[in-house]
Amino acid sequence: MVTREDILKIAKLSKLSVDENEIEQITKDMSEIIGFADTINSAVEDEDVEFDDINDIVNAFHEDVVVDSYDREEILKNRSGGENGYFMIKRRKVK
Amino acid sequence: MERTFSKIKHIKKLFETKQVSCTELTSEYLDRIEEENKVLNAYIRITGEEALQTAKKVDEKIARGESLMPLEGIPMSLKDNISTNGIETTCGSNILKGYVPIYDATVWNILKNQNAVLLGKTNMDEFAMGSSCETSCFGGALNPHDTRHVAGGSSGGAASSVAGNIAVYGLGSDTGGSVRQPASFCGLVGLKPTYGTVSRYGLIAYASSLDQIGPIASCVEDAACIYDSISVYDSNDATSRGSRSKTSDKLDRSIKGMKIGVAKEFFDGIREDIKKSIEKAIKVYEDLGAEIVYFNMPQIKNVLPVYYIIACAEASSNLGRYDGIRYGYKSELYSDVNDMICKTRSEGFGKEVQRRIMLGTYVLSAGYYDAYYKKAQKLRGSIIRAFKSAFESCDVLLAPTVPTTAFELNFTSKDPIETYLTDICTVSANIAGLPALSIPCGFDDKGLPIGMQLIADSFEDAKILNAAYQYEQQMNGEIYKHCNGGEII
Repeated sequence: MVTREDILKIAKLSKLSVDENEIEQITKDMSEIIGFADTINSAVEDEDVEFDDINDIVNAFHEDVVVDSYDREEILKNRSGGENGYFMIKRRKVK
Repeated sequence: MERTFSKIKHIKKLFETKQVSCTELTSEYLDRIEEENKVLNAYIRITGEEALQTAKKVDEKIARGESLMPLEGIPMSLKDNISTNGIETTCGSNILKGYVPIYDATVWNILKNQNAVLLGKTNMDEFAMGSSCETSCFGGALNPHDTRHVAGGSSGGAASSVAGNIAVYGLGSDTGGSVRQPASFCGLVGLKPTYGTVSRYGLIAYASSLDQIGPIASCVEDAACIYDSISVYDSNDATSRGSRSKTSDKLDRSIKGMKIGVAKEFFDGIREDIKKSIEKAIKVYEDLGAEIVYFNMPQIKNVLPVYYIIACAEASSNLGRYDGIRYGYKSELYSDVNDMICKTRSEGFGKEVQRRIMLGTYVLSAGYYDAYYKKAQKLRGSIIRAFKSAFESCDVLLAPTVPTTAFELNFTSKDPIETYLTDICTVSANIAGLPALSIPCGFDDKGLPIGMQLIADSFEDAKILNAAYQYEQQMNGEIYKHCNGGEII
């Protein structure tokens, strides 16, 4: 059973702000979904099976070699605001 | 409307014999897009200028008498979660509106080097989270067979573009069925390759241990040709392996003696007419000399909750990067940094994405991790083992792709669980990293296509393409008749 407090806590951890009017509906939906997820707790897994990877893929490390990278200004074009190679977050009060 | 769908091979012949130029063909597709896309909403961005520039290059090569690469000059579409340098890539989300990648995804890099003609970026469920394309911030893509129905999801735009004949093929991505389900809904062939064979570099992540890029095409031969081109080892993707061998030269192999496994659990809750179509397909395989092996796989009943727990857990982490600071949408009114991030995410992400992030956060949070995430990972191990064991006695498995045909519009707005349940047949291949393919096998009483699925062991992509091709040949075009509103040449 998911409570209103659970939703507020998960929203905070998820960095999402939940609209007061929507909490009830979200709590209801999440309860149903968690109830659905709960069905795995009656399932029996193979005792000696630990999942660690699929298709035997292991970490593929490569040498730490410095290569040409992207132009900083080019990368920063996608940011909203900011100048001189910096990101900018304004300190503002909600109106 | 009577249409002719051209196979890649046929188009190449037209180029080589100079019956049509690449520029003429590209212009024809662009003209059609202008008309058809108003209804289908398959494309969310059309790249006509770039397409014509590439077409010109191809025509110059043909004029010089140079031979063409496998996908050279073929007009195609890319799902909008595949990064394209200089072309806006949004993942169907408001949070990425205006985002222009500065690099190409490896798959697009490969195709670009082959002078593939990119017609545009296709519509999708937001961050690939959905089964109807309706969670897209651009509205859903419609099914060309009947526009009162969805094209499917999440690669709905890709399927709509191919079935609507406004692209020869499309690349989509499949995390839990997002290539196979829309291919099934639109009467097409959709391949989800073995995990690791196609590079994920530049594919905007949903659930990294499940995501895989795959082709949606109008026939098996085209799907094999595209897979052969894109399944290349890539050092930029730590999980990349590349493919073991080419698949297109194995399509003609006889499947006499091939063992086809049918797990009864895949048929639970499947609509009767779909069951009947699959039974007919099984009969066709028997006629082709395959041996049908019926068996039980009780692990199937766990696949959906296991999938949703793992996928959402990974999504909650992968989508943590959208904070409004480095790229994408940023909220205008906020009191401090944390408030800015929360508001940006709540205003930028749609409801379904927020729901999945919250579910993922919940199953990973202290006190719930062991009961959900850890348990799901253990069950994932059991599911993988069950498949490995099945492949000890079978070459391929045959199952439905989706329990229904294409949903009517506004399906997603209903109960979320009801939507999740429709992924029952497709998610196992992602959980176990296996190759799986959907191919049309009939129609329902409304004329909507029915798809069947073939699954093989890891790196045996050639086997399912071979089995699908043999079925397609045996049906002699029957499965495509009125399916795409025309014939395939």
